[in-house]
Amino acid sequence: MGIVAAAGTQGALMRTLPWQRVAGAVVVLASVVIALAMSPGDPRLPYLWVFGLAAGFTLQRSRFCFASAFRDLYLFGSGRIMKGILVGVAVATLGFAVVMRNAVPFPGFGALPPEAHILPVGVTTILGGLLFGVGMVLAGGCISGSLFRSAEGYVGSWVAIAGAVIGLGAMSQTWNWWWSVALAAEPKLWLPALFNLGYGGAVILTLAAAIAAYVLIVWWEARSGVPTVKAIADLLPDDTVGQRLRATAQRVFVNGWSPIVGGAVLGGLNILMYSVHMPWGVTGELSRWANSLMTSVGAAPPVALGLSAIGGCAARASEVSGVFSHTFAVTVGLIAGALAAALFANEFKLRFPRTARRYYQSLAGGLLMGYGAGLAIGCTIGAFFSSIASLSVSGWLFGAALFGGALLGTKLIQRIA
Amino acid sequence: MQIDVRGEVCPYPMLKAVEAMKRLKGGDEIVVITDHAPCLETIPPQAIRYGYDCVIDQTGYPEWTLRLRPKVSAK
Repeated sequence: MGIVAAAGTQGALMRTLPWQRVAGAVVVLASVVIALAMSPGDPRLPYLWVFGLAAGFTLQRSRFCFASAFRDLYLFGSGRIMKGILVGVAVATLGFAVVMRNAVPFPGFGALPPEAHILPVGVTTILGGLLFGVGMVLAGGCISGSLFRSAEGYVGSWVAIAGAVIGLGAMSQTWNWWWSVALAAEPKLWLPALFNLGYGGAVILTLAAAIAAYVLIVWWEARSGVPTVKAIADLLPDDTVGQRLRATAQRVFVNGWSPIVGGAVLGGLNILMYSVHMPWGVTGELSRWANSLMTSVGAAPPVALGLSAIGGCAARASEVSGVFSHTFAVTVGLIAGALAAALFANEFKLRFPRTARRYYQSLAGGLLMGYGAGLAIGCTIGAFFSSIASLSVSGWLFGAALFGGALLGTKLIQRIA
Repeated sequence: MQIDVRGEVCPYPMLKAVEAMKRLKGGDEIVVITDHAPCLETIPPQAIRYGYDCVIDQTGYPEWTLRLRPKVSAK
């Protein structure tokens, strides 16, 4: 450390401290080896692994933090990342509709597309969203956010993920109670099958709601007085092809991406994941870790009632044995992709929280997120992003509950500065 | 005034910068030292909002110094 580079000096970043770039290349090579090792088991896995890597890379590059998307609306009146999320949801919705239409051409006959994240709608959706919303603000990142931050070297995020694994484990132990008192009776409401909407009506309704939310955020930003920062045109003497290519590489690998670009890319990757197997979700793998840990110490959770009839990644936790699985490919791929992105950008660093309070905050936040994600059968990715794109009512209700939880969480963290 | 927020993640670096800008009311330069890249996108708009200019220097990998200077016209 201690190397001083003037801001924006083209090429200066490329010359200094190459170890992070070398390590980044090693991560990419290792990822190729893992992809090759995966292919004999299930031919879909290498694809999912690559999409997981790309998602992690995109999350890190666009600093796509769902927790801040909700929290900063309250805290600073800023809707930067929420606007990116809405763009991503819109992109994914269009692609998902095509994939679902291939599986279920006539939505009015009662069949739901398999694998789509059409989750129960009821008190568990609201309670799960509230718990998750408080937890993600307390921990400073949702599950996907804490996963990519873990890869960047944030020790506080490791604690948050550990908390989430414990929370998901607690849910596995108590799931059957929730099933008997609430979940079993909750309907799965799928827009194309409601009010004769069909795919066209459901897509139009979802896009209209996303546009309305976008307009509402712009209004909120204007009301809060958040200035629109005008992009500064860098008039660099890009003389040679080499310099121009270098500047392009700088924009992709070093400078942060706009959240709108990040959202659109993540929406596209989500469509690819669904067209190969199932929509994007990240809690399933953590749930699998929790269950196998508990099993190894002789405290295996009971067989979860009704879970196999529900889509969503968290529902898949118990059904695969062995290391390589769908959830492994997508979730561990996310960590590897984010690690490579951080290394190429020279942004990897082990960062330890400055006070003991932050460790407790991350642990408590992780626990709440884990239990909430278990109850809602997904996190900000599976039960919100992928669920809205699945044309499911649950995604919108979970999103609204996240807003409520994030408001509570924001009040809480303002007291623990 | 110097605020060293290395090791802190969102929203604390920005909260502390905003708190300082509110307290100093454009009276003094504020230097924020951070190793959290999202600050580069979140602090500058807040600086403008409170009447400050923001100059970013990269001082490490990853480490940045954000100099928040009161705008003359803001007073």
